[in-house]
Amino acid sequence: MLEIEDIHVNRGGTHAVRGLSLTVGRGEIVSLIGANGAGKTTTLSAVSGLLRPRKGRILYRPDETAGAIDLTAMKAEQIVAAGISHCPEARQIFGNLTVTENLRIGAYLRRDAEGVAKDLADIHRRFPILEERGSVPGDKLSGGEQMMLAIGRALMSRPKLILFDEPSLGLAPILVEQIFDILEAVRADGVTVLLVEQNAAMALDISDRAYVIEAGEITLSGTGRELATNADVQRAYLGAA
Amino acid sequence: MTFPYLLDQLVNGLILGSMYALVAIGFSMIYGIVRLINFAHGDILTIGAFAGLAAFASADLPFPVVILIVLVAGAVVGMVIERTTFRPMRGSPQVTGFIASLAVSIILENLAIMILSAQPRTFHIPAYLNTLVHLGSVSVRVIDLTIVVLAIVLMIALVTFVRFTRIGIAMRATAENYDVARLMGININRMIMLAFAIGSALAATAGLMWGAKYGQISPLMGALPGLKAFVAAVIGGVGSISGAVLGGYILGLAEVLFVGLLPPALSGYRNAFVFGALIIVLLVLPNGLLGRNQETRA
Amino acid sequence: MSGRDTFLPKFAALALIGAGLVFWARSVLDPYALSIVMFVGINIILAVSLNISNGFTGLFSLGHPAFMTIGGYMTAILVMPAARKGLMLPDLPAFLAMQEWSFLPALVAGGLLSALVAVIVGFPVLRLRGHYLAVATLGLIFIVQSLAVNLDGVTRGALGLSGLPSLTTTWWVYGFVLLTLFVCWRLKHSSLGRTMLAIRENELAAACLGVKVARTRVFAFALGAFFAGIAGGLWVHVVTLISPDSFSFGLAFQLVVMVVVGGTGSITGASLVAAVLTLATEFLKPVEESLNLYGASQIAIAVGVILILIYRPAGLFGTAEPQPLNLIKRLGSRHTSPANSPE
Repeated sequence: MLEIEDIHVNRGGTHAVRGLSLTVGRGEIVSLIGANGAGKTTTLSAVSGLLRPRKGRILYRPDETAGAIDLTAMKAEQIVAAGISHCPEARQIFGNLTVTENLRIGAYLRRDAEGVAKDLADIHRRFPILEERGSVPGDKLSGGEQMMLAIGRALMSRPKLILFDEPSLGLAPILVEQIFDILEAVRADGVTVLLVEQNAAMALDISDRAYVIEAGEITLSGTGRELATNADVQRAYLGAA
Repeated sequence: MTFPYLLDQLVNGLILGSMYALVAIGFSMIYGIVRLINFAHGDILTIGAFAGLAAFASADLPFPVVILIVLVAGAVVGMVIERTTFRPMRGSPQVTGFIASLAVSIILENLAIMILSAQPRTFHIPAYLNTLVHLGSVSVRVIDLTIVVLAIVLMIALVTFVRFTRIGIAMRATAENYDVARLMGININRMIMLAFAIGSALAATAGLMWGAKYGQISPLMGALPGLKAFVAAVIGGVGSISGAVLGGYILGLAEVLFVGLLPPALSGYRNAFVFGALIIVLLVLPNGLLGRNQETRA
Repeated sequence: MSGRDTFLPKFAALALIGAGLVFWARSVLDPYALSIVMFVGINIILAVSLNISNGFTGLFSLGHPAFMTIGGYMTAILVMPAARKGLMLPDLPAFLAMQEWSFLPALVAGGLLSALVAVIVGFPVLRLRGHYLAVATLGLIFIVQSLAVNLDGVTRGALGLSGLPSLTTTWWVYGFVLLTLFVCWRLKHSSLGRTMLAIRENELAAACLGVKVARTRVFAFALGAFFAGIAGGLWVHVVTLISPDSFSFGLAFQLVVMVVVGGTGSITGASLVAAVLTLATEFLKPVEESLNLYGASQIAIAVGVILILIYRPAGLFGTAEPQPLNLIKRLGSRHTSPANSPE
């Protein structure tokens, strides 16, 4: 569904991503794991259009039958319209907007009022706290609540592919479990997931396939299970002796 | 000090406050969305006044049409300024943008003097707007009432737009975080332009009101009111629309009462008073009365 | 520091050359042209001194005109014959009314008064940053104007003081230009100057290193005000009059242009642009008149500023002091200076 071909991306003057390629298949959960500063966020930003690759291509096939769309030079707003949603790092919900407004703005591009209302109800069902605190400004929520809001907001555009940037960052372990359950539920609903994480253990646990990124390049790839049992990965990212 | 005199001053304060509020809203909207002080904002007031004068003079247009023309003129000028000066500055340090907007102000003022000559002109309004209306012990002109009512109507319309409509929410989102707004599919260039258009339209309307109220306009008339409206926006909290409204009325009333109630010897200090108030507010209440700390932007 | 040991001889040599030029100008040019030369010099003093606060220390101050007004009035009042003072300025305190000073002490007094005001006003106001500071200093201009208009027993109000003796000569201006350049140059290459640059670049880091940030900022502000006050005194005795709106917002913009376009932190840059701008405005005046397009030069300058801000935001020279030989090379190349415009 998504093919990243040998992209080079600069971020803030540094050559953050160097010749990176990866693919995401329809209906999969694919993880990109690596340390701080390895280039994970840069990669996601290149896909969602916040950054433009200097070289390389990013191709996207929204449906089985449709042709490939070249995302490389597209603007972020257009990429959203094509069905890709990016849940950014540190959640970044709109503090000045209420919870419900945050959710509604996720559906900004949609024209089907009934569909939006239904999706909103679904999200309320999945995250009852968001309905309870509907008119609370976003910046008054706790970290875990904000993460749920960010996920809900990303879902409101009814995307075909969601990019998650370190959803577990800064959350208590019990919340982290919940978040990863939600990610699996999202995939079960038919949405493809590209997940970027420092928490390698949990990410690999739910992933169909995964890639390891170091200093802007992919160093390893395989299925989730393969990488989880890989000795190097265990030593570097999974805390094994 | 008689009661009718005090009432008279209050009414004048309300009228001045309405005008300051409209201009202050524009400042706050623009500041809120691009984090830059638009120094040329006061000059848009001037443009509105002259547009109004032209509209009145050219044909026997009904007042609502004149208002519409002025709104459109202001919006257009605002959008041009955004596109030519502010958009290329996006991402530059604060101070660079400020200097650029100073430059725009100088350009507009000199253009106005060149095209319109520095002489003040009388602002003619139709006779029916000049008729007196008696409310209890106070008499006001119809135009005075119209100014306050129009200001309130515009403010309510704006607040409704910003709070409840899809685009209004999108504007607020853009003001908070450009990148994430784009991730929602929002075209931030359009939102920014819209903010400039609305803010400038309101400032232009204030210019129309100013001309109608004081009967005289000149090419440099907007500079000082523009600065004072900035003070009002700061008092209320820059970036907050309701703050701008509050600040506008507080400043309008304070200025009129300052002049009206203190001995005449001190009334020449009205500008010093306003700017002194600015400095004090900036030091004591940096976020104004209703503002939030808006200095960070992702 | 390279260059410091050769500084004094270099400076003395340049000063002598300059003195020669002044001597030549005085013998060759007519009084009107000479007054232009004087304005160039005064603008250099203004631009270079504004560089201390805006350029080196990164404070965005628009307040120079206010200090020029203060300095100008003080100098004019001190120089004025006592009899005249009694007539025109009835509310002047007795001890002032009796003074009749010569030019130099009066100028210095004007500068010192401006500096004093800057210190008093500076401690509160300089807590602000960025464009808020800019607007606050702009407010200073209005407040000073307001005081000048209303305290008419002391300043003769809106009428201003006219018929002042034309005491300023090219030599006076030249002398103070030399003084300003000397002080600023030494400052820039001293540890205090480096402190100022540090504050401009990263205030928090500077504070963590033990820099007394507030004090340094006020000092920079006051030093700039001192020279602005002197410049005001000099100016006023060229045009032989002063009024509350002699030095206003338009001048503030022009000065900021000189600093920003010349390069925030570059003494040479600021001086160059000051000179060029003054001369350009002067030469464009007859053009404006013939085309009946008053204000066109202002518009052209403003457009130029916008273009420079878009394409060369660090100004023409950034913080660098170009050597004459590198000058042409630098201007031609895509030279980005390490320092940015002040926050």
